[in-house]
Amino acid sequence: MDEFGLTLIFLFILFLFLGTGIWVAVSLIGVAAIGMILFTDRPVGDAMATTIWGGASSWTLTALPLFIWMGEILFRTKLSENLFRGLAPLMRHLPGGLLHVNIAGCTVFAAISGSSAATVATVGKMSIPELRSRQYPEKMIIGTLAGAGTLGLLIPPSITLIIYGITVNESIAQLFIAGILPGLMLAGLFMGYVAIWGLLRGRRKQFRGEKTEGSFRDVFQLIPIVLLIVGVMASIYTGFATATEAAVLGVGGALILSALQGTLNWTTFRESLLGATRTSAMIAFILAGSTFLSLAMGFTGLPRSLATWIGALELTPWVLIFALLLFYIVLGCFLDGISSVVLTMAVIEPLIRQAGFDMIWFGIFLMVVVEMAQITPPVGFNLFVLQSMAKKDMAFIARSAAPMFCIMIVAVILLTLFPEVATILPETMRNQ
Amino acid sequence: MLARVDHALNKLYRYCGYAAAVFMVIIGVLVFLSIITRYFSIYVPGLTEYSGYSMAAASFLALAYTFNANGHIRVEILISRFNPKFRRIAEFWCLGVATWISVYFAWYMSKLMYISWKFEERSEGADATLIWKPQALVVIGAVILCIAVVHNLIKCIMTKDYEPR
Repeated sequence: MDEFGLTLIFLFILFLFLGTGIWVAVSLIGVAAIGMILFTDRPVGDAMATTIWGGASSWTLTALPLFIWMGEILFRTKLSENLFRGLAPLMRHLPGGLLHVNIAGCTVFAAISGSSAATVATVGKMSIPELRSRQYPEKMIIGTLAGAGTLGLLIPPSITLIIYGITVNESIAQLFIAGILPGLMLAGLFMGYVAIWGLLRGRRKQFRGEKTEGSFRDVFQLIPIVLLIVGVMASIYTGFATATEAAVLGVGGALILSALQGTLNWTTFRESLLGATRTSAMIAFILAGSTFLSLAMGFTGLPRSLATWIGALELTPWVLIFALLLFYIVLGCFLDGISSVVLTMAVIEPLIRQAGFDMIWFGIFLMVVVEMAQITPPVGFNLFVLQSMAKKDMAFIARSAAPMFCIMIVAVILLTLFPEVATILPETMRNQ
Repeated sequence: MLARVDHALNKLYRYCGYAAAVFMVIIGVLVFLSIITRYFSIYVPGLTEYSGYSMAAASFLALAYTFNANGHIRVEILISRFNPKFRRIAEFWCLGVATWISVYFAWYMSKLMYISWKFEERSEGADATLIWKPQALVVIGAVILCIAVVHNLIKCIMTKDYEPR
């Protein structure tokens, strides 16, 4: 059979495995093994064992469990209460009022947790009941949470960004630093939208009960967490620590913070550690599958022919970016962020490098696009989290998130027009 | 009898999870040591390699535990709409493929370890560890994953209203 036919079979098996509910990591290993059997005469199993062992025992991977653990520890502190009460006095007087707390809270939590589902869950746990009691419109409460929750992927530390860095062999430290400004930009865009909504709604329509609670003293409770975030980022930026080492400092800081708050005991310690162990094993298994799949993909020749084919089309960068945007949004309708990154990078990486894009910039672009996919039905993980928290039907939640989706498209356009937003900090970091 | 086997196996997965958690802490300690020693310009050979091995051990020892806690990601959009009968067939198919892959994986990881052991291969890093030792932990994790998958496959065949864990 010719190569084209084999490629078709290969892709068919991939979609069959994933679509019928086989665990993503298992599908990747299975498809890679079948691919190698189809395309080469090499001993498949031995190649698999060597590749997976090499990938799984690599030092760069260790940033992953540590950052996950840091998030798990802080998730079990009083952080979500403190976030609401500390941010409320600051945000109350802005047009749009306490809705800004959703966005600012997600931004802060995104800076300590790498997962957007955890971000939505932590901030929403406190803010949904509080905002409801003040009679903010449900649509805005859900929408801002859905949108801002995705910042977890963009603002460092981001699990998906670590995985991108490992898959394409780029510096995780630089990717982290690159994510800061675009993350803040996106948060700013969300807040701008809420402010405009607040102004249009008019000043006269006040929300009830806003003046009764939350004083500026509560703001000070946020200082330790802000110090932790700034400390972790600064240690990376100044080159004092690598991403992995910064993660250990983060875990240490999180444990101290939790001890100071009195939430650290054997149960929370154990639960946070076991939670991190599970998440990290899940991701490590997917990564093991994806390193093997990358190897197999190399034998299929699929990445090379695709890169040549796209190269021959001589697309302008804008068209290519737009095509990739569409591609990832469609893919994100069925897969979670991590899976869609590991599954595609073996094929997309040569294409991006050939088109001359900066890989750090592309990583940031990819995060925004994957974020968008998180809030589009039918498979948007943030939507699922919100659905179980807000007890509303999926259609309502998706509709509420739609304006945020549009804002993210604006962010992608800005990021493409002004790539410096993502590249300037890593550049100054390199030149220190 | 069967209930007791079921119980004992679940315990096995859980203890493997605990072992993996211990390796997570070891990663943290090793990385912390590498910051400290670099700060005082002391050179300790093999710190990065050992954190790598701990990473592999933590990941693979926790596979079965995570599997049993339904922690591995899958695309459920299609099969979650099936009626119970088709759902059970779909689960059977998924577990069947997972059995194949996990046995295949465990077999070749064991072979890799066997070769490392036979030729006394050592790490290329400064630590020069006999490489089969950390590989053994991965093999243990892979084998226990096989047990967990087969365990669930048998449960799926034997119980009428099988729910994935």
